[in-house]
Amino acid sequence: MTRHGFIPVILLAVSMVCCVMLYQGLAEKRQKFLDQDFMGYVLPSSAVRPVSFEFRGIVSDFLFLKISTFLGAKFIKRQLLEEKHAQFLYDYTDTITDLDPWFWDAYLVADMILSWDFKRIRLANTLLFKAEKYRPHDFRVPYQIGFNYFYFLKDNARGAKYLMKASALPGSPAYLPSLAARLSMYQNQYGPAIVFLKQTLAKVRNRVLKKQFQMRLDTLVLMAGLEKKVHEYKAKFGVYPETLSDLVKKNMIKSIPDDPYGGKFILLKNKRVYTTSKMIRKWK
Amino acid sequence: MIKRVYALAVLTFKEGVRDRALFGIALFSLAMMAGSIAVVSMFMRQLDKVTADMNLSAITFAGLLLCFFVCINLMSKDIDRHTIYCVMSKPFSRTQYIWGKYFGLMLLVVTGLGILTACSTLAIFTVKSGYSQYFREFTWKAFFAAVYAEILMFSVLNAIIVFFSTITTSSFITLLFSISTYIAGQTIEEVVLFLNTRFASDMVMSGPIHYFIEVIRYVLPNLSVFDIKVRAAHGIFVSWDYLGCISCYAVAYVAVLLISASFIFRRRQL
Repeated sequence: MTRHGFIPVILLAVSMVCCVMLYQGLAEKRQKFLDQDFMGYVLPSSAVRPVSFEFRGIVSDFLFLKISTFLGAKFIKRQLLEEKHAQFLYDYTDTITDLDPWFWDAYLVADMILSWDFKRIRLANTLLFKAEKYRPHDFRVPYQIGFNYFYFLKDNARGAKYLMKASALPGSPAYLPSLAARLSMYQNQYGPAIVFLKQTLAKVRNRVLKKQFQMRLDTLVLMAGLEKKVHEYKAKFGVYPETLSDLVKKNMIKSIPDDPYGGKFILLKNKRVYTTSKMIRKWK
Repeated sequence: MIKRVYALAVLTFKEGVRDRALFGIALFSLAMMAGSIAVVSMFMRQLDKVTADMNLSAITFAGLLLCFFVCINLMSKDIDRHTIYCVMSKPFSRTQYIWGKYFGLMLLVVTGLGILTACSTLAIFTVKSGYSQYFREFTWKAFFAAVYAEILMFSVLNAIIVFFSTITTSSFITLLFSISTYIAGQTIEEVVLFLNTRFASDMVMSGPIHYFIEVIRYVLPNLSVFDIKVRAAHGIFVSWDYLGCISCYAVAYVAVLLISASFIFRRRQL
């Protein structure tokens, strides 16, 4: 190779090194943007629908992937979800489901997070009612609404109504007709939530969400176990324990288990076991 | 007459197949379909919907690229390079030329989309075999119905391209008009729906504007009617009745455009 032939090769090598170096610096700068709340706005569906032309399906997939990534990043980084995220999640899901009103995964994720993390049950149900309109033959929709009424809103009549509705739809599990009765029996206990979460967990693929649901299930199982011990204490000693430490003192449990969410289990005055974390991530 | 139109259609098809842009379009679409196999694992449970969405979008996007970049080129090349004189020196009428060109373009698009649909089927089969438990809603019937509806949409789009090619002198202007008509055709339904809402009824709109929108909704092709991809992704079949209606609509609209194009082209100074 002649001397002149080397020059382009050297220039190419230098350019490539510059590209890699600049990319690294840029990636760090970019991360600062990404760390900020980059999804603080939601384009309304009246704007997104026309600009999506005939690609509404794939646009809804992209938006769903984006919100899943956003929530997943919050969970992985152990960041607390703020109250403003509830309305944001609702609006975002509303736009996604305006693009594709049959998109069940979008409804489900929004429902799970709005109800469990934000306790915004009415907001979650608004989306589920929209799902019910488009998926009238899907038992999962009334099932989810029924659970929200039962567990969160303590409205047994409506809860039972929706569960019975779900049981009449094709593909519904055989245990559903009796579930309404079982849930009524479990009133003000953690049983329905455990049954419900186990059912949901069996079908979730996403590893991050699965981990979150599993953590919630583990916490509920611990709380249900502690409540059971409280009732056993009452049966054995004739009075309820004052605190959970009484269970330890009387050797009914070895120790008070740790709350996976980082809070502490406590015994309320009404003798219900509760957690100071409220099952919202409070990382040390 | 049919023989001559057929001969021109085959000639146009052969000319189109030689276009190197086809390889680029095919590669892009195949990459998108292959990508769907990888991307789908990022989603929760409705993997059938996501796979179908990605594959149907790839087919549609490839069809649009084919129409806007290969078909327009095929239509305008004859006039730009004066090769039309060679064709016109043969016993072809101008009307036969228009219809022959149109069927050639359609043959190209249908062949292209047919190949992509076959690749799509393979991609969906691959994902389905890996995640069969998440393919509960998907049906091939709904999927192929969506592809058929897209082909109908491209038949209208190609007629639009042929129509604009006969009234313009530059391929760029044809491209501009065709893309504008496509965008307007895809959004006209949204505009009409918006105007029928309560919010819009409160808006003060002058009489001529209202009249203009009423006229334009019938003049422009409503391309949204051919978009059944979202339903197909969920395995919802639209009904044979609906497919029959959109087929008739497409045939009628294509006929209007091609007859008008033939009429204009017969009087055009080449």
